[in-house]
Amino acid sequence: MNVLKVSRLTIAAFVLPCLLIYISIVFVPILVSLYSGLLDWNGIGEATFVGLDNFRNLLFHDPLFWPSVRRTLMFAVFSMFEIPVALFVAILLRRYIRKPNFLVSSYFLPVILSVVIIGQLWKTIYNPGSMGGMLNQLLTAVGLESWTRVWLSDPSVAMYSLYFVALWQYLGYHTLIQFTGIMNIPAEVYEAAKIDGAEAFSADRYITFPMIIPIFKISIVLSFIGSLQAFDMIMVMTGGGPAHATDVISTLMYNMSFLSMKYGYGSSIAAFLVIVCLIATLLINMIFNKSEKRYT
Amino acid sequence: MNTSQTAVMNKRAVPALRKRFSFAKAIAILFLSVLVVTQVYPLLWLFIYSLKSNEEILSASFFSFPQSFQWSNYSAALEGNYFRYLLNSLFVTSVTMLCVILLSSLAAYAISRFRWKYGHLVMLLFLIGMMIPMQATLLPLMIIFKNLHILNTHASLILPYVAFSMPIAIFILNGFMRSIPHEIEESAIVDGASVFRIFIKIILPVSVPPVMTVCILTFINIWNEYILAATFISSEKLKTLPFGVNSFVSQYSVNYGAIGAYLVLGALPVIIIYFLLADKITQGMVAGAVKG
Repeated sequence: MNVLKVSRLTIAAFVLPCLLIYISIVFVPILVSLYSGLLDWNGIGEATFVGLDNFRNLLFHDPLFWPSVRRTLMFAVFSMFEIPVALFVAILLRRYIRKPNFLVSSYFLPVILSVVIIGQLWKTIYNPGSMGGMLNQLLTAVGLESWTRVWLSDPSVAMYSLYFVALWQYLGYHTLIQFTGIMNIPAEVYEAAKIDGAEAFSADRYITFPMIIPIFKISIVLSFIGSLQAFDMIMVMTGGGPAHATDVISTLMYNMSFLSMKYGYGSSIAAFLVIVCLIATLLINMIFNKSEKRYT
Repeated sequence: MNTSQTAVMNKRAVPALRKRFSFAKAIAILFLSVLVVTQVYPLLWLFIYSLKSNEEILSASFFSFPQSFQWSNYSAALEGNYFRYLLNSLFVTSVTMLCVILLSSLAAYAISRFRWKYGHLVMLLFLIGMMIPMQATLLPLMIIFKNLHILNTHASLILPYVAFSMPIAIFILNGFMRSIPHEIEESAIVDGASVFRIFIKIILPVSVPPVMTVCILTFINIWNEYILAATFISSEKLKTLPFGVNSFVSQYSVNYGAIGAYLVLGALPVIIIYFLLADKITQGMVAGAVKG
């Protein structure tokens, strides 16, 4: 297909600047961290080569590791449950709203804000009522005083408070993705279905759902990868505390390396994270390729 | 014949449907409006909060308006280096955007139009990069930058920002450039134009729409980025806006109104841009997601 025959020098001039920066900033560090995962090193002093000891400790002896993996997966599961909700909202938008721009833009507003703004805003909302926290004041005002909590300091609810903020922030994003997907389904298809007697939710069953699968897949991949990487928000809001109750894989990595100064150990967690991300993407793609074949 | 038949059917079907549907429609609209409230109200609340005095915030009157607007909260907030952070963010984000567009469009052009063996391999490398979490490179990059003595400079932010924005940029640009008809270049070559000239005079001008998408995606991602800035930067005068906002808010723990004001100020630039370009931004970000 490509027609332009150019000299090697020209190719190099076009590709190399980009490729060199990219490889040295993305791939070299990954390789470095795979290697330093094999070291016992605090990041400054002498490093000792310890082989796979870090990985062994991580997988079998670290009491913090598996709980943080579980929270990361829960994060992914929660955000995947959000996508059907987003699809439902998108279907309602298409069916009942003639000019959806205002609604769509309002839903999308939280998506474009920095995690710092979102995180600090919700920290303020979750504050104890005596410190001006909206949620607790609201609960007190409607007589549910027993429900009030220190949402981010109570280990039993802190993680759920964080899940909620992430779901809140990205609802608009997934809604808009699904909505765009639905709007790209040609109107004739729905008209044809109408003639065949398929309207309303049966039209969704036979048209919207099958035709939206590729978009649905994108949303799933995005939210899954996004959850594996959920990091900044937790760092801003709790930093993994109280007492590691909100640690996920990446915050554990950060805290190990920068607070506990176990650089080698932190690197082994980073390596684990990269591997999980790559495997997860492959798996999701495989599952969806199968189901796409079944429906089309 | 078919059309007349369906027209008759529709006429009969419509009244019954409309009655049933208006009820469903009311519920749907109610539901969609409640969602507007849940998505926008927290931000509105923050704005009102930022205009209250400490006493008003602490007395449990969370939905009342302030007695008098405490604009002094904003002057307290503005003393906290706000404009310095804003300038830093502007600088870092615009340099990043320029580099991303220039470098990625060059590479995307080579991948999509040149006849060479390794095009697919290069593309695959960039695709893999999209799956790699940025924070996994945080520690090694810090060590590398420390050895290069660029830690705590804007270069230590711009380099990784550029690198991590490239995969999606190349993906979008490559997809577009593939669709440009080859005849355009052929005639230019016949006229004796060099590849660079073709790139600058023909390819870049027609690629404005995907370049805009890349601009929007890069802007939103980089403008909002927090964790790299917080890890690599330590001087007060180099902090970007998200990092600056976070450190101000964490230090200033008693003056609630000023914290609220600072958060509003921190959100303001993006919100202004969003008001001006809402459709472009939503479309750009969805295009980025769907094509990625």
